[in-house]
Amino acid sequence: MSRPPNESYLSAKIGIRSWLLTTDHKRIALLYFAAITGFFAIGGFAATLIRYELITPGPTLGSPDFYNRLFTMHGVIMVWFFLIPSIPATMGNFIIPLMIGARDLAFPRLNLLSWYLFVIGGLITLTALLLGGLDTGWTFYEPYSTFYATGYVILAITGIVVAGFSSILTGLNFIVTIHKLRAPGMTWYRLPVFVWSTYATSLILVLATPVLAMTLLMLIAERVLGVGIFSPQLGGDPILFQHMFWFYSHPAVYIMILPSMGVISEIVPVFARKQLFGYTFVVWCSIAIAAIGFLVWGHHMFVAGQALYASLAFSFLSYLVAVPSAIKVFNWTATLHEGWIRFDAPMLYAFGFIGLFTMGGLTGLFLAALPIDVHVTDTYFVVAHFHYIMVGGAVMGYFAGLHYWWPKITGRRYPEYWARFAAILAFFGFNLTFFPQFILGYLGMPRRYQSYPPEFQVWHVLSSAGASILAVGYALPLFYFLWSILKGERAPANPWQATGLEWTSRSPPPPNNFDVTPTVVRPPYQYQRGDPCPQVDSD
Amino acid sequence: MSGRAVLRCWAALMGLLALTTGLAFVPLGAAQLGVSLVIAVTKALLVLLLFMELKGSSGLVRVFAAAGFFWLLIMVGLTSADYMHRSDHRTAIDQIR
Amino acid sequence: MTDDVLTFQYATSDQQREAVTLGMWAFLATEVLFFGALIAAYFNYRIWFGAEFIAAAHMTKVAFGTVNTAVLLTSSACMAMAVNTYQAGRTRAPVLWLTGTALLGLAFIAIKSVEYYLEYQEHLVPAIDFDVGRYGGVAEIFFLFYFCATGLHALHLLIGISLVTWLAIRIGRGRIDRNGSTTRIIGLYWHFVDIVWIFLFPLIYLAGRSG
Repeated sequence: MSRPPNESYLSAKIGIRSWLLTTDHKRIALLYFAAITGFFAIGGFAATLIRYELITPGPTLGSPDFYNRLFTMHGVIMVWFFLIPSIPATMGNFIIPLMIGARDLAFPRLNLLSWYLFVIGGLITLTALLLGGLDTGWTFYEPYSTFYATGYVILAITGIVVAGFSSILTGLNFIVTIHKLRAPGMTWYRLPVFVWSTYATSLILVLATPVLAMTLLMLIAERVLGVGIFSPQLGGDPILFQHMFWFYSHPAVYIMILPSMGVISEIVPVFARKQLFGYTFVVWCSIAIAAIGFLVWGHHMFVAGQALYASLAFSFLSYLVAVPSAIKVFNWTATLHEGWIRFDAPMLYAFGFIGLFTMGGLTGLFLAALPIDVHVTDTYFVVAHFHYIMVGGAVMGYFAGLHYWWPKITGRRYPEYWARFAAILAFFGFNLTFFPQFILGYLGMPRRYQSYPPEFQVWHVLSSAGASILAVGYALPLFYFLWSILKGERAPANPWQATGLEWTSRSPPPPNNFDVTPTVVRPPYQYQRGDPCPQVDSD
Repeated sequence: MSGRAVLRCWAALMGLLALTTGLAFVPLGAAQLGVSLVIAVTKALLVLLLFMELKGSSGLVRVFAAAGFFWLLIMVGLTSADYMHRSDHRTAIDQIR
Repeated sequence: MTDDVLTFQYATSDQQREAVTLGMWAFLATEVLFFGALIAAYFNYRIWFGAEFIAAAHMTKVAFGTVNTAVLLTSSACMAMAVNTYQAGRTRAPVLWLTGTALLGLAFIAIKSVEYYLEYQEHLVPAIDFDVGRYGGVAEIFFLFYFCATGLHALHLLIGISLVTWLAIRIGRGRIDRNGSTTRIIGLYWHFVDIVWIFLFPLIYLAGRSG
């Protein structure tokens, strides 16, 4: 092939058509990065307004209806247009083929279609939100969302359905890729944990999202036709909607956390210079979380009117699903033990993840207990719980992976001390924002309320102060990453001295990833007294 | 599949169709649903194994084929745990009034 | 649609063929859950409403349903013949079998349209002029399921008919690789649409017929 020897996927073809019509998984990953960053900014802006509103007990920014539309916008955007695609569509797309020694995904054109569906869906929902939004909450409970809510319910939901098809196709692509495109010698037990986590995530994407699509279509049908499938007028059952909605939406939260866990499993061995403890347990726990995660959705409906028998079953199963997550935390901790620990920015984010995810997970167990849930459901306790997992967990994992793979993706280093500062700032800001919310919830502050009794104000002020710090912690990377692209020091192929296949390729990689298809000879995370033993032997 | 095999499979499917429609008019009571579902599953298996060639496929393909149905069973099964027990004897906490 | 040329990410044609087959089955799994969600809702309402729900099923037209099931099962047999004869090396036979498949599919749609029209005349179409006073609210919910399920199925069938017609034309022009996956995966899709109907048929048409 007569290609320049140092050609990268970035320089190979230029012009906007080569980007918008690309089938290169690396370019598609960057297209996703751009879209997702945009949605994160919008969702974050809505969060800023919410926290600003809640500084005072009475209305600050507008009417209660405006507040309802605000938190709905925040939830819808953050769940479907940031968290669900976040790591899989960006780092999954970019890194998985490199990690397994493949040249691209199994179906590259389908990958591009996924991106377009995502963007189109996002634009449709964004249009609905900018036109005035909707006030149903991101959960769209019936019959309010169908018979009583004003606003652009159908338009917003249509965008979500379209984006849902994007996730389904992405998951399908990853599953087939991981089964069929592994390089010679890359057996299942030699795969990095990130691949196993992405596989587990893809199982959920493929099996759960279609149920959401059907549920939302039925919601649209009910709203358009005025026939109460889920509403009491004809005898329908609102709880059936909740069953169908949460059958998807609970596994969806595992879509959001599993990839982050995979990132942490990559980062901890590298920055502790030690083999991952209990690899087999960690990878099968990913699968277990995905599988058991399908069995627990009723814990969102303990007070909805579900049969007590069903609630008991779901409560028990919810305790069960915590076990594989806990096993992972123990394994990460054991990996750290007697390691040569370095506190680079990815590792700081990983530490933040482990601590905050553990807290979020434990408070989930509080909620799984029926007697406690009856008191704290629909309060800020629940809000704090899921933000500890989604933000303290998933978003920290996202930033950890972003920093870890940044040199590989861009070929540049970022400024390390700014990155560490941002990580620590985000950690403190996060805790100040969300820990007071546990207290608020326990004291009885309901969620989704604009006005509250004055005795809660002190906690809300603390929380909003924390939010402003967190915002700075999230904004800083925007600046220093931009600086890095323009003026950052060039990165070598393996700046972290890691062992995976992705680090044997150049930074940034050539268009076809590997000049020669690698042959894998050993499992991942092998370190000989701190020195990496790469998965392929260099020739 | 040879032409003859396709024909035999088609004949079996037609026979099962006649059977299921015929049995619908027989008073079987509560067993009605179960019987018609068993026949439907049999028809589906014939199509899956023979027409869709699962019989000669690798284990991996068969797992993929089974996964969707298995997950559907989970959904139907666990939700029915709610609906079958809604009218259970009410506990004290439900008797708020 | 792939013209079965070996693309760069695959090392061998076998690998590509296996990957495409797995991809198709993964897609069909998503469809099982898509229709399955509707069927799960049906089952739960059947448990919850009991006799009233089953009684509503009595008003569907079992003769139409049975004939349509026979039509679709026969179309699957034609599809299977098309795939087999094409892989066996023939060209005219598969085109004829594919045409038969598509025609039977169209016959299904035609019969369904007549059925829908008759139901419209009997005031059984929800949201249009369903006679709630006469049939009851539960029956309206049942018929909403009926129209949603059969409507979505018909949509999938129309997509299938288009794919089969496209395939017949391409095979006729010699543009489909005999050793590739295209014919087989279109076959898989068609059989799947048949399987959806195999399950919808007893749930919609055969309940509440006896006693």
